[in-house]
Amino acid sequence: MGLTERTNRNVDLTYWEGEIPVNYVYTYGLGLEAFFRALKEQGKFLASRCEDCGVTYLPARVFCERCLGKLETTFAVPGTGKVYAYTVVHRNVDESPKEEPVVLALVDMDGTDCRFVHYLTGVEPGEVKVGMAVKPVLKAKKDRKGGIEDIVGFAPA
Amino acid sequence: MAYQRVAIVGAGITKFVRRAQETGKELAFQAAKMALDSCGLTMKDIECVSLGTAPDAFDGVHMKGEYLADGSGGWRKPYMRHFVGGGTGVFAPIHGWFHVASGMFDTCLVVCSEKMSSCHPHPQGAFKTIFDHTTEQPLNPTLIWIFALEMNRYMQTYGITKEEIALVSVKNKKNAMDHPSAQLPMEITVEDVLNSEVLAWPVNRLDISPASDGAAAIVLASEHVAKRITDKPVWIDGVGWNLDTAYWATRDLAYPRYVEKAARMAYEMAGIKEPQKEIEIAEPYDPFDYKELHHMEGLLLADRGKAVEMLLDGKTQRDGDRPMCPSGGALGVGNPIAATGLMKVIEIFLQLRGEAGKRQVPGNPRCGLAQAWGDLMQVGTVVVLRR
Repeated sequence: MGLTERTNRNVDLTYWEGEIPVNYVYTYGLGLEAFFRALKEQGKFLASRCEDCGVTYLPARVFCERCLGKLETTFAVPGTGKVYAYTVVHRNVDESPKEEPVVLALVDMDGTDCRFVHYLTGVEPGEVKVGMAVKPVLKAKKDRKGGIEDIVGFAPA
Repeated sequence: MAYQRVAIVGAGITKFVRRAQETGKELAFQAAKMALDSCGLTMKDIECVSLGTAPDAFDGVHMKGEYLADGSGGWRKPYMRHFVGGGTGVFAPIHGWFHVASGMFDTCLVVCSEKMSSCHPHPQGAFKTIFDHTTEQPLNPTLIWIFALEMNRYMQTYGITKEEIALVSVKNKKNAMDHPSAQLPMEITVEDVLNSEVLAWPVNRLDISPASDGAAAIVLASEHVAKRITDKPVWIDGVGWNLDTAYWATRDLAYPRYVEKAARMAYEMAGIKEPQKEIEIAEPYDPFDYKELHHMEGLLLADRGKAVEMLLDGKTQRDGDRPMCPSGGALGVGNPIAATGLMKVIEIFLQLRGEAGKRQVPGNPRCGLAQAWGDLMQVGTVVVLRR
């Protein structure tokens, strides 16, 4: 086959099938375990702060990535923020079309130096503005499992 | 060749455990922080960062180097990951050495972190695809298989018995009883090893090191900076590494030629002419008990087939003439792959400084060696340290 020809179906060549037979059980880690426990049980957003570097981390971390200082205390921040950038997603991972476009945004989280990536809800794609104020929408407490999907998304404040 | 002389000036190790609550980056942070604190430095003093970590498939994190950067102090620093499989942990100080020896940097933080417990049902699943996908994978090979073949060939070639080899496991697991990071410290007998379950004859459960979570870190400094940081720098006087063919089945399994070539490279740099006389203490890589003996021979610390005599004579005990794995090794302290190799380097660092506590060997050794081995059992990595 010449270099300019293209094999469009990768099973056109003789092949073996194989797999890497593993799956994963991740730990939250010390920082995220505290964050998601507070989110699940109290609906709170836990942050931590490095006074030496003047940086507030959300979700809470147990160390400062700038100075490697240990961060031992956490405190709640409102969970509100402002849209920093957004995109409107029309296709799924496998390139199939989505039934409805989904708005995905980076949210500058108030009182912190961090952003969340999450969905925007309760707003039409054409109405989203960079800089608009948003607030978190949480699942009902009984449905929260201690994960990022406990947050349904962020809605206009 | 002109380069800056490089010293190890600080070190830190987390506990090695079967399953840590911490993430890999939190483990990296703990080790890095301990290493910095041990020599009174902060991240402001660190000019570059080197990270060692084994296959991404262990942690289930693709681009693990980037993932571990924040816990390793990589934030806005010249940062680089290196990887040579199981040999990674002893390649770590070599990789850091390049950075400082070259004259580009005067300090380097070197971190190794591994979180093998994420991988289910067992990290062996991730190892499957290191074998050739067409000629070997259909046979469902595991690492234990190929080590069983190598151990068998080694035993056959020199007439060594399983009973003799089991003494390495007994020694190292006992040594680990004095190591604060140890996962499998225990007092066992040769009978215990022989009676443990057979995984792939001649390899039994207690012939093998465990899968572990853990991290280790060291701080490197150039000569003029090291002397300002500590009165007891430990110099990296020789480095060597070497890779054999990927066609492991056709290799000489009784003798690790690639380890010899790595060792000779390090010895030449360090000016070592007679390793059996000049290397007073060593941490050969011991993921399996026979590998300690096999590697002693490749490192030229024993004649071929004769390492077992040093073992039987007690010379490799912590209080013997030539202590091997005084830390407790991978068999006793545990085997979070990249962190294990660096743990071995740290053991020699502490021993040469006289700071190994209950593990301290007698005789005030001046020169020691750490070695690791990996990829598809084909790479040797060696550092020679002197005080």
